[in-house]
Amino acid sequence: MSLRVGTLLAAPVTAFLLALCVAPLLILFAYSFFRVDFVAISYDPSFANYAKIAGSATYRGLILKAFGSGALVVAITAVIGYPVAWFLAKRAGAMKSALLTLLLVPLYSGDLVRVFAWRVLLGAEGVINRSLIWAGVSDAPIQGLLFSPLATHIALTYNYLPFMVIGLWLAFESLDDAWLEAAADLGARSPSRFARVTLPLTFPGLVAGGLMVFVMVVGDYLTPQLLGGASGITVISAINDLFGTAFDWPLGSAIAWTMLAILMAFFAVGAMLIRRSSLVGGS
Amino acid sequence: MSRLSTLWVWAVFAFMYLPIAMIALFSVNDSKIMSLPFSGFTLKWYAEVMGDGRLGGGFLTTLSVAFPVAICATLLGGLAALAISFYPMRGRGIFAVLLLAPFLIPKLILAVAQLIMFNETGVARSLLTVIAAQTVIVLPFSTLVIASVLIRIDRGLLEAAADLGASGLSAFRRVVLPLMANGLMASWVVAFVLSSAEYVLTAFVSGRAQPLSVLVASDFRFALSPSLNALAVMIVFGNIALVALAELIRRRASKTGA
Repeated sequence: MSLRVGTLLAAPVTAFLLALCVAPLLILFAYSFFRVDFVAISYDPSFANYAKIAGSATYRGLILKAFGSGALVVAITAVIGYPVAWFLAKRAGAMKSALLTLLLVPLYSGDLVRVFAWRVLLGAEGVINRSLIWAGVSDAPIQGLLFSPLATHIALTYNYLPFMVIGLWLAFESLDDAWLEAAADLGARSPSRFARVTLPLTFPGLVAGGLMVFVMVVGDYLTPQLLGGASGITVISAINDLFGTAFDWPLGSAIAWTMLAILMAFFAVGAMLIRRSSLVGGS
Repeated sequence: MSRLSTLWVWAVFAFMYLPIAMIALFSVNDSKIMSLPFSGFTLKWYAEVMGDGRLGGGFLTTLSVAFPVAICATLLGGLAALAISFYPMRGRGIFAVLLLAPFLIPKLILAVAQLIMFNETGVARSLLTVIAAQTVIVLPFSTLVIASVLIRIDRGLLEAAADLGASGLSAFRRVVLPLMANGLMASWVVAFVLSSAEYVLTAFVSGRAQPLSVLVASDFRFALSPSLNALAVMIVFGNIALVALAELIRRRASKTGA
C-alpha cells in the first residue's frame, strides 16, 4: 500500500517536470531537424543543422572552448577546494556547520551581483590595479585584467568553488580515519597514504563535485558575457544569439542538443566512475 | 600541515567574501569612481536607489514572482521529498534523475526550450510563465532542503502511530507534518531567495513586466554606477538575512527531529 502512496505523491511532481522540463527539451530536439526559410520555419526534417555544426570550424571551436573552460575550472576548484573540504570534515570540529553555511552564503547574492563585483575589482581603474600601483608592483594599470579569459576564469572559479567543496566534503565525511591509521601502522608514509588511501576513497566526491562544476561552467552565460569582453563569445552565447538576433531557432536547437548530448555522456561516465570507486571504497 | 591548511582555509574564505566586501565599501564611498582611495562616507547612493521608481517597480515585480514560486516549489518539493525519502515507491531512481535534471541542464538551454514550447503552444509570455519556469529551476533545491529534514525523522514514529490505531493519513498529519513543517519553511525562504536572484531564465520567459534582475542586467551592461553597489548590498543583505532565518529554522528542526 505504501508503495502506492509514494507513487501518488510523486505523480504531480512528475507531471510538472514532464510538462515544463522534459517536453520543452523534446520540442527543442524536434526543432533541431527543421530549418528556416526566409522568416518562416520549414518543418521538413533533415540533418542539415547537425552537418552545419560538424562542418563549421567556428562552432566546433566554441564547443571545444566550452569543455576546455569546464575542465580547467574543475581542475582549479579541485586543487583549491580539496584542503578546504578536508579541513571542514576533519578539523573544523564545532565550527563545521557555521563554516559550511559561511561558504554557501555568497551563492545567495545571485549571479549578477557577483559578476558586478568582479568588474569593480578587476577594472582598469579597479581595486586590484590601484592596489598594485600603490604597492609599487606595477606603474601602470594592467589593461588586460578585465574583459579577458583570465577575468572570466577567476569569476567562474569563484562562482563554482562551493559546489566542488560540498562534493568533496561529503566524501571526506564518509572517509573512515581507521583506514589511514591502518595504512600508517602498515608503514605507509604520508604521501603514499594520500595517494593510495585518501585520494581513491574521496574520488567519488571529486567526480561528483567535478561534474557539478563542469556542467555549470559549460552552461554559464552571464560570466563570460559580462567579464570576457571579446573572448566572452561562448557556445552558450552563440545559442542565445541564434534565438535572439539571428532568429535561426533550428540551428540554435541543434547546437543546444549537441551540448546536451555531450553533457549526458559525461554524466554517464561520471556515474559509472562513482559506482565503481564506491564499490572499492565501501567493501 | 594543520597550520598550513588553516591558513589556506582562511585565504579561501577571504576570496569568497572579497567581492561582497568591495561592493559594501564602495556603496558608502563618496565618489562616482569605484576605486581606491576612499573619499569619505555617504549614503547618497542608497537614497538614489530608493528614489528610483523604475527599480521600485522592478522590485515589486520580483516579489510578485518570488512569493508564488516559493509556494509552488515548496509544495512540489515537499511531495517529491516525501516520495523520495519517506514513502517507498517504484522507479525512485528515475524519479531522482528527473528531479535533478533542471539543476544539471544549462539554464540557457532550458530557457530557449521553454521559449519554443510557449511559442508553439501559443502561451503568451507573462509573469505566469516566469513563475512556472522558475519553479522548475528551484524545485531541486527545495526538495533537497525538505529531504534533509525528513531523513532525520525516525520512521519508528510512524509504526508507533499505526500501532496506536492511527490511519496512514492521520499519522502523516499528526506525526510527519509537524516534524516536517520547519523544512517547509526553510524551503520557502531558500526558494524565495533563488527566485529573486534568477536572471537568465527570467529574461527569456518574461514579457513586458520586468523583474529587478532583468532591469539591473540591462543597467550595468551600459554603465557601472555606485548606486548599483547600493542596490547590490540591499539585495545581498536581504538575502543573507532570509537565508540565516531559514538556517535557524532548519537547525531547530534537526534538534526536535532527532
